[in-house]
Amino acid sequence: MSQASTLTLPPLGLAARRTRVMGVVRRDFAALRRSPVRVFEIFFWPSVELVLWGFMTLFLRAQRVPFAVTFLLGAVLLWQVLQKASNEISIAFLEDIWSRNLLNVQVSPLSSAEYLAGLVLFSLGKVVFALAVMAALALGLYGFGVTTIGVGLVPFMGVLLVLGWSLGLVGIAAVLRFGENAQVIAWSLVFMVQPLAGIFYPVSVLPAPLRAVSEFLPASHVFEGMRTVLSGGPVPWDRLAWAAGLDVVYLAATVGLFAWALTYARRHGKLSRFGE
Amino acid sequence: MAILRASHLVKRFGPVTAVRDVSLTVGEGEIVGLLGPNGAGKSTTLHMLLGLITPDAGSVELFGMELARHRTEALSRLNFAASYVDLPGVLRVGEVLDAFARLYALRRPRERVAELVELFELGPFVKRRVMALSSGQRTRVQLAKALLNAPRLLVLDEPTANLDPDAGDRIRGLLTRVAAENGSAMLITSHNMREVERMCDRVHFLSGGVIVAAGSAAELAGHYGAEDLEEVFLKVARG
Repeated sequence: MSQASTLTLPPLGLAARRTRVMGVVRRDFAALRRSPVRVFEIFFWPSVELVLWGFMTLFLRAQRVPFAVTFLLGAVLLWQVLQKASNEISIAFLEDIWSRNLLNVQVSPLSSAEYLAGLVLFSLGKVVFALAVMAALALGLYGFGVTTIGVGLVPFMGVLLVLGWSLGLVGIAAVLRFGENAQVIAWSLVFMVQPLAGIFYPVSVLPAPLRAVSEFLPASHVFEGMRTVLSGGPVPWDRLAWAAGLDVVYLAATVGLFAWALTYARRHGKLSRFGE
Repeated sequence: MAILRASHLVKRFGPVTAVRDVSLTVGEGEIVGLLGPNGAGKSTTLHMLLGLITPDAGSVELFGMELARHRTEALSRLNFAASYVDLPGVLRVGEVLDAFARLYALRRPRERVAELVELFELGPFVKRRVMALSSGQRTRVQLAKALLNAPRLLVLDEPTANLDPDAGDRIRGLLTRVAAENGSAMLITSHNMREVERMCDRVHFLSGGVIVAAGSAAELAGHYGAEDLEEVFLKVARG
């Protein structure tokens, strides 16, 4: 038996796969710990949005607009779930490009699925952390408890997380296909969803063609559902089921897109050129 | 027995053919050099052998397995370092090695990292960020990373390009010794002909994407009527 085989776990075994996935998580966590700016960033922008919209709700409440606080603050909190899930997964991948470390990762036994699993797990941790900070702020500053959303909160967040990861994968695929200049797609894609998702207003205000598009956006069903719950209605499980189904389809499609983009990058020698 | 067998590799990038028809083998414990002028196709060839670039034609077999089908198994037994690849600068040396120890699914990552820290005399820097190291110190960290899994094949693309002669000499000595102890084979590209003469059992010369000469340094010097490998290089590069 060679020294290598005694040093390492069987590469296709479950223990090795778990070790590699957690290796990605540990590495990204260590990088985060060493970068105070990144830690600051996790809750800075969400907090800015929360404070901004919080004051807006105070004004609207003074104008006796019903549900202003709950609708807007609930929307800001859930929007951050979507935005951060999308951006964090892209950033984690881009970090490997920026640090010229991508080739080291690509020649390691880490499979694409394990790499993505690691990125997703790490982004989940960051989203949860940011959300906890924002929820505490919302409660402390505006008396809005995130649990007001009730039992729907977890599935609402789940749908948005998965949609965010799918969008993040599209951003990564764009960078693999078009090169580093496509980073802008990774950042901005989620903002294309924003106007169609009815985050701060009901989808009914959209023109008919855009309303039809929003029907196929899982996020629009989440935000409509959130408003229903906050108005005192029941959790619209049928809408949630439709949104979850869409999520599954989009996630499968974007994983396929990522696999295709990686194959394209390998075929055209693009991996070798990142970070040059 | 060949642990690496590349057969008739071809790679085109648009109208440019970077590699025309490259076949090579690396045997167990053997140190093989891949030489050639800039643009000869060395890095493209290495990247095809590592699965970073998909060849247009030809095949790569590592440890008796087709790389395209057994990527994880094959890559777990090799490792790689290059002068143009870096490590996450924000991390401390110990954190970088620990992270890669886990990506290679080592059974006892801490113990192995400690061994390599000692071997490469990285103790004083282990808590320093990679970005704060000199290029020589960074190269040592890269090579420590490349030896984490005691690879059966170590692929090095100009490993000592950023080092001064003294540091380069020490690294060469260390690599040769460790490879002999582990029974690791090495495939190296370098522009330092003395380095190649000193380390390599066999050399392949690439020019225009084709292997134009192969053999030991002495055989090649004899074949080209040259004093040493540097002269062979000049003759090959200038046609």
